[in-house]
Amino acid sequence: MRKLGCSPLLLGLGIVIVLLLGISFINGAIGSKFVEVEAFKFLRVSQPHVSLATEPIIPLFGDHDANPLFSASITNTILAAWITIVVLVALFVLGTRKMKLVPKGLQNFAEFIVEALLNLVEGVAGKKNGRRFFPVIATIFLFVLFNAYLALFPGFGAITLREGVETKELLRAANTDINLPLALALVSFAFVEYWGATSVGFLRYLGKFFAFRNLLRGKPMGLIDVFVGLLELISELVRIVSFTFRLFGNMTAGEILFLIVFFLWAWGTALGVYGLEMLVGIVQALIFSLLTLVFAVVAVASHGHGEEGKEH
Amino acid sequence: MSIGVYQPMAQSLLLAEAEQGGVAKLGINVPSLVAQVLNFTILLILLYLFAYKPITRMLDKRSEKIRESMEQAEKMKQQTIQAEEQIKAQLETARKEGQALIAQASQMGDKLKEEARKEARQEAEGLVARARSDIQRERDDAADALRREFADLAIRAAEKVISQSLDKESHRRLIDEVLTQAKTAKG
Repeated sequence: MRKLGCSPLLLGLGIVIVLLLGISFINGAIGSKFVEVEAFKFLRVSQPHVSLATEPIIPLFGDHDANPLFSASITNTILAAWITIVVLVALFVLGTRKMKLVPKGLQNFAEFIVEALLNLVEGVAGKKNGRRFFPVIATIFLFVLFNAYLALFPGFGAITLREGVETKELLRAANTDINLPLALALVSFAFVEYWGATSVGFLRYLGKFFAFRNLLRGKPMGLIDVFVGLLELISELVRIVSFTFRLFGNMTAGEILFLIVFFLWAWGTALGVYGLEMLVGIVQALIFSLLTLVFAVVAVASHGHGEEGKEH
Repeated sequence: MSIGVYQPMAQSLLLAEAEQGGVAKLGINVPSLVAQVLNFTILLILLYLFAYKPITRMLDKRSEKIRESMEQAEKMKQQTIQAEEQIKAQLETARKEGQALIAQASQMGDKLKEEARKEARQEAEGLVARARSDIQRERDDAADALRREFADLAIRAAEKVISQSLDKESHRRLIDEVLTQAKTAKG
């Protein structure tokens, strides 16, 4: 207590925090049931409106309401993704503009990111394959991470467009649009299959999923091969779905959690959720990129065992 | 915040789901999907050009440089060790040579000293001998001069004696006396 009394700065900070907590509690959904203070009403957080689908900002063609699957428009998540791209590219362009052998400042930071990812990828996939996988894995990681972190910037979701009675956010975390996780999942799938096919040979790679060879040779036990191949095929395809919904679910849940928590008690709980979301962002980025990496490593591993079995 | 407010909304949600299907409710939209795939591809290409390629090249260059400089340092170390050994060997030979030189010089010095001493002694001996012979000669000369003087003296004494007309006896005695005197003076 004595120490607190000695530091007026700390004391002032504490008072400000307590005031903020109190005011935000009074204005939150919980507090306003107990006390109503007219003066603070302008601070009230409005009831969250959750929409899983994104909102079009600039319609291009097709009626969004009539044909939601095929109507094209620039949505708020696409805008957010563009911002992410601009930020990432700007960071690396500035970081690698005047490269020196002894790095300094931004170059150091850019090199740190790339080197850490490169070491991770090479550690898992080996030197040769690591260099091959690295650009895709690193881009997935950086894209997911920066999508998540840029959305946490204060003011990111605060700019809204009014359209009649409805308002919509100009920017929305790109990861919370199912199209982005799905796009990443498809890209990841495509690259894994491409790497697998080019590493072990196209026909041999296909033979992993359509293992009819032994059955055609008149061996009844070949049925097991066919069945296993089908299972492999299904698991390969299910990855797309699991990739998509893992990222989409985590990120959307985080966004909704934010909205609810802000609505209930803007200050008191939001800070904790903020930290949690920082963690979720990097964890999801790591999971998405590392799973792609692991699948790629499995795909390029030659299926020596299966081949031997077929030779008998 | 009553449930009644939300009921129509829930109903409309259900209706929408029935009309559009679950996929549309999630927000899947083909142009958006294509746009995001394009976004990713563009980002991949840009990052490849601006980040991965230059930075991995730089990292490789740096590790190559570090490897090189470490090898260089190793080589330098070897060279230094070699040079040190060479210097040590050279120092050793130089020391030996120096010692030999000193030994030679001191030997030569001894010899010179010995010679000088011998020469000096010879010279001294020569000097002494000459001085002795000089003294001898001078003494002889002096003795001669003295004898001559004594003879003169004797003659004068004789003249005196003769003039005083001495007897034979005293004459002889006088001469003898003079002679002995001269002899003792000579001796």
